Amino acid sequence: MQSRDKYRIALLSAYAIAIHSFESMLPTPIPWLRLGIANIITLATLVLYGFRAAMMVTLIRVILSSIFIGTFLGPGFIMSFGGGVASTFAMGVVFSIFPRLFGPVGLSLIAALFHNVAQLFLAYFLFVQKIEPILLVSPVLILLGTITGIMNGFIGHLLINNIRDKKVNSPHH
Amino acid sequence: MRLREITEGMTSADKILLIALILLSASGFIFIKKAFPQGSDVGIEVNGKPVYRLPLNKDTTVRVIGASGDTIVEIKNRKVRIKESACPKQICIHNGWIDRGALICLPNKVVVSIGGEDRQDKTIDAITG
Repeated sequence: MQSRDKYRIALLSAYAIAIHSFESMLPTPIPWLRLGIANIITLATLVLYGFRAAMMVTLIRVILSSIFIGTFLGPGFIMSFGGGVASTFAMGVVFSIFPRLFGPVGLSLIAALFHNVAQLFLAYFLFVQKIEPILLVSPVLILLGTITGIMNGFIGHLLINNIRDKKVNSPHH
Repeated sequence: MRLREITEGMTSADKILLIALILLSASGFIFIKKAFPQGSDVGIEVNGKPVYRLPLNKDTTVRVIGASGDTIVEIKNRKVRIKESACPKQICIHNGWIDRGALICLPNKVVVSIGGEDRQDKTIDAITG
């Protein structure tokens, strides 16, 4: 890995950790309802620097934030880890195979969907072990995930365009 | 305007995915509500008088006093049984776990029935002269 890539991953991970930690302090009506704004960084990393960088940023974010918040290896961490890896993996696979098919909004929607599906599976296998409450809550989560997904996709789109514009205008590149 | 920039930046696949997700969650609401009616509960009657109305989805055990002694009713995993009864033949206990219909202990005059708020099984089949 080149030092420029390392620098980028470190910087993007730092942003993602800051957002993730901030978000975990926001009160939410349901304990595991999250806005997923840290995924904006993963999304931008994927589109600008590729699958590998995006996965690294996600892993660094999930692990380090959980250590900072104090949930490392706890149930919250397992949910966050599973959701983060599944959503990044799904986005990455779709983006690698069909790079032009989905824009940032579509990728963000895929991420939100897989984040929820992974967390529902984890909740079923690890905590609830009853299919009925999982099925009852899943349409709500998918709908909320679609709303936050589209919002994050919009912001991600702006962020990606901004970084691209800066790169073109910057005298150093 | 930035908002226009974003909406124009959405590919048709993005839009199809968005509509599909909204339809998926909307149909999920309808189908899952139908598959798991929330109204179902357990009614316990003693001597024709209702004494308990309990949700079927909450595990619990209750004791009611019947005509000839105590009857213990247990709710677990959306099923009901009469666990103990002070009746001579213990037929109600041998009925085991049920998830629909009713358990009736005639000697003790205890009736345990499962039904929702909008139970259809209570309608009258026919009336004869």
